[in-house]
Amino acid sequence: MSSIPEALARPTGDAEAGAGALPPYTRRLLMWSFAVGVVPPIVLIVGLSLNSLYVLLFVHVICGGTWTGFDLFMGLVMSRIMRSLDIPARVEVAKRLTPTTFFILPSLAAVAVTSGIYLAQRLHKFDLSDPWIIAAGVVVAILTVQGFGIFMPNGLRIFIELAKRKPDPQRIARLNMWNIRLSGVQAAFQVVIIVIMAHLAIY
Amino acid sequence: MNVQGLIVVVVFGGALLAIFGLIYRQALASYRQGELGPDGIRLLQWAIVGQLVIYALLGLTAFLT
Repeated sequence: MSSIPEALARPTGDAEAGAGALPPYTRRLLMWSFAVGVVPPIVLIVGLSLNSLYVLLFVHVICGGTWTGFDLFMGLVMSRIMRSLDIPARVEVAKRLTPTTFFILPSLAAVAVTSGIYLAQRLHKFDLSDPWIIAAGVVVAILTVQGFGIFMPNGLRIFIELAKRKPDPQRIARLNMWNIRLSGVQAAFQVVIIVIMAHLAIY
Repeated sequence: MNVQGLIVVVVFGGALLAIFGLIYRQALASYRQGELGPDGIRLLQWAIVGQLVIYALLGLTAFLT
């Protein structure tokens, strides 16, 4: 089996990058992530400008649903795949996964929450004494703290590590695995919030 | 103006800036020590700007409701 430094020197697409430089695909993936991540707030702006309840509901459901689906996929599928890979392969996945999700996920989360508040206000359900609204707020707070406190800092640390002259592959793999495991926890909370949302939509 | 919406965006944006700021300082220290390449620090700056753009757009929505 090849050693980690050897395996890291070989990955596809890295040869042109040079020592200490990020692989060329990092910038492309990051730009793609931004191009996708900027869409949800723009659609929300359009919906609010048109005063359209339909668009507001669409934005909230698609952002919340995609956010939930992503967490479920990461927690239930990707975590199993990553565990079956050796460290160099995990690093290769992390090098591509981190820039691709960098803008998309925080954007989906923030737009889902913000549009949810606007929607609840529009439907006269934004009552802070309602236990279901309180429960939704608590779950969103947990998801947000995890997202901002763990996911995003880990993503940034992976970036920094990748840009170092001597990246530590163990650290990259460890940080990425943390994020993937946390996605499983987030997936559980996402299921809880879907239960709450289903209740709020019906009653 | 939607005060509750604006509060949410400001809290999100504030948390984001605080965490980014902290990590950026660490990255800057690594850069000064020669551990981190200029590419990394530049990309990190772009990442911060990108996130700020998204939150600025979201902040705008609070003035549309």
